[in-house]
Amino acid sequence: MPNPSVDIDIDFSNPEILSALWEQCLQRLQEELSTQQFNTWIRPLQIEEKQGSIVLLAPNRFVRDWVHDHYLKLIQKIIMQLLSISIDEHEQSNNLAIIIDIGSKKGAYAQPIQQSHSHTASSQEHSRLPQQSAAPMAYNSAKASQQAFQSNLNMNFTFEKFVEGKSNQLGLAAAKQVAIDPGGLNNPLLIYGGVGLGKTHMMHAVGNAILKNKPSAKVLYLHSERFVAEMVKALQTNRMNDFKHFYRQVDALLIDDIQFFAGKDRSQEEFFHTFNALLEGHQQIILTCDRYPKEISGLEERLKSRFGWGLTVAVEPPELETRVAILMSKAEQSQLVLPYEVAFFIAKRIRSNVRELEGALKRVIANANFTGQDVTMEFVKESLKDLLTLQDKLVTVDNIIKTVADYYKIKVSDLLSQRRSRSVARPRQMAMALSKELTNHSLPEIGDAFGGRDHTTVLHAVRKVKELVETTLDVAEDYKNLIRVLTT
Amino acid sequence: MPKQLTLAGIRLQDNATFENFYAKQNQQVFAFLHDLFLSDENYTYLWGNTGAGCSHLLQASCHNAHDLNKQAMYLPLKEFIHLTPDVFENLEIMDLVAIDDIQCVAGKANWEEALFHLFNRLRANKCYLIIGANTPPNSLNILLPDLLSRLTWGITFKLNGLIDDDKVAALCMRATHRGMHMPEEVANYLLRHYSRTTSHLFTALDKLDLASLAQQRKLTIPFVKQVLS
Repeated sequence: MPNPSVDIDIDFSNPEILSALWEQCLQRLQEELSTQQFNTWIRPLQIEEKQGSIVLLAPNRFVRDWVHDHYLKLIQKIIMQLLSISIDEHEQSNNLAIIIDIGSKKGAYAQPIQQSHSHTASSQEHSRLPQQSAAPMAYNSAKASQQAFQSNLNMNFTFEKFVEGKSNQLGLAAAKQVAIDPGGLNNPLLIYGGVGLGKTHMMHAVGNAILKNKPSAKVLYLHSERFVAEMVKALQTNRMNDFKHFYRQVDALLIDDIQFFAGKDRSQEEFFHTFNALLEGHQQIILTCDRYPKEISGLEERLKSRFGWGLTVAVEPPELETRVAILMSKAEQSQLVLPYEVAFFIAKRIRSNVRELEGALKRVIANANFTGQDVTMEFVKESLKDLLTLQDKLVTVDNIIKTVADYYKIKVSDLLSQRRSRSVARPRQMAMALSKELTNHSLPEIGDAFGGRDHTTVLHAVRKVKELVETTLDVAEDYKNLIRVLTT
Repeated sequence: MPKQLTLAGIRLQDNATFENFYAKQNQQVFAFLHDLFLSDENYTYLWGNTGAGCSHLLQASCHNAHDLNKQAMYLPLKEFIHLTPDVFENLEIMDLVAIDDIQCVAGKANWEEALFHLFNRLRANKCYLIIGANTPPNSLNILLPDLLSRLTWGITFKLNGLIDDDKVAALCMRATHRGMHMPEEVANYLLRHYSRTTSHLFTALDKLDLASLAQQRKLTIPFVKQVLS
């Protein structure tokens, strides 16, 4: 790692000095770059000192390479100016070297040193080694401290908080059975069903219950993507034996969304061996999948058949009563007083999955907290009106012209013509006023859209309609109706 | 070199922050994002029509995170669609990730899957996530149901666009932040004669700022005509 090759009196190892330098550099960068460039590429960087050099840490390879290619010279220039070092355009060796690397100052996510590779502002070589995940490898952290086995379980996902209904009864009974007798008859337990129906909650609940019964048990939850990522990392670093050993010593392995193994042959191969070893050792396996495993294309037949060796249970979308019960339970957890008929109203409108139901309730809670109002039916209708109506229709001038012509039963060509009779002029004025109200076009642009009229004509129409809406009942009614038709 | 460029150092910064956001129509979402890091809810979805202020609020949230000594990254996806989703790797080390224009990657299988995995990693690491879009989640045409259901999981806010009176007020406020005085009649003139989208109006303001500094002129209607013609 190159040291700065110029004499600098500043001690970069003093974090306060370094941080003050970086703050000043950020201010200058904010002036030089667009807000977007700054927020995207500069803000995520962190600065630190390593062996006397300034090191910029980027979250991943992509950001590191981008900053290296586009901004590192500028950063170097600014820092040298701030340090009053003269810049030698021709001799890079006389310039201050700033290294850009992948990582974070947060200890837990520190990049293993032997895997890091750096770029400096003075070096042009650009190695393209595969990206290393900054997250610690499960098997690494566990090895470092046998005591602190990280289960990754969400403590909130328990059986007590799981709302039972017809749609999930069978799965729940099987899951509870597994919690009592892990590694027993129901091994593996495979829970499948659509998204947002509680598969992951059920899986965590088993893990939490196993831990409750036997606190020393090694229960490990991870998403299939993490399993794949860790295996790739182990392969790259020649640590497959550690990887295998780690996964084969757990008491219960919980893998979420196994459909994402599809097409990843090497991961499937490794998972197959892990699966067999665990099954032979009477260690529990729990898997979730978004569909019946036999329907997953890109998954090896031998895996599909093994997944069915234990118990496979389906989770169905919750019926209305269960949705209401879920809302009441979530509201209670959030200390919100939710009247039953209001829960019923939300549950009737949002049918697809529990996540969406929760999202709606969160919005109601946020509104209640913001306004301090009680949660009544009217309040909920108002809070959720944006969620419950589909996307606002895109209102264009053309659409307004067509709608207004239809409404007044005249032809679009008449509306755009030079005719000035009242039967055409009034609807034309109405359409112009609506265009001003409902679109972002300027008055000249609106004039153009109406057969090349002057912007003063549009302005006159806008004023005229405003006046008529205030004084004439019929026109007010027409205006209101047209707004409704165009925006709902 | 154009003379304006030499003036960059004395212009007042007017980057997207909470201070220069005109929040009249969007008080609740403004208050929520302002205190985002006090909230138990880690995921927020904002949507609104162009010019409603989505990008501004996402960037202001990143700015605010930095002031609170937290790491944040703003990802405008419309700038990335021709690249690969590698930019999502390891972002769970951030305290806040703000992803803008998610509609740009809807229907692109590789992006959708990468976003799904990022969502899971951010959630597992309790990182805050704000997503900005031009439609509600259910209208995005997302193909991966696993991703779509997650997108509906958080608090969803619709951003209300500004009416013309608000745009005048917002223009005058942003001008003040830049150290300029914009008379209301000048703001009204801008709205009447140029595109009324907020992004166009603020771009015009940017031009006027540079020109008024360079020419040492106040903002008057004749000056606006001269600069923007």
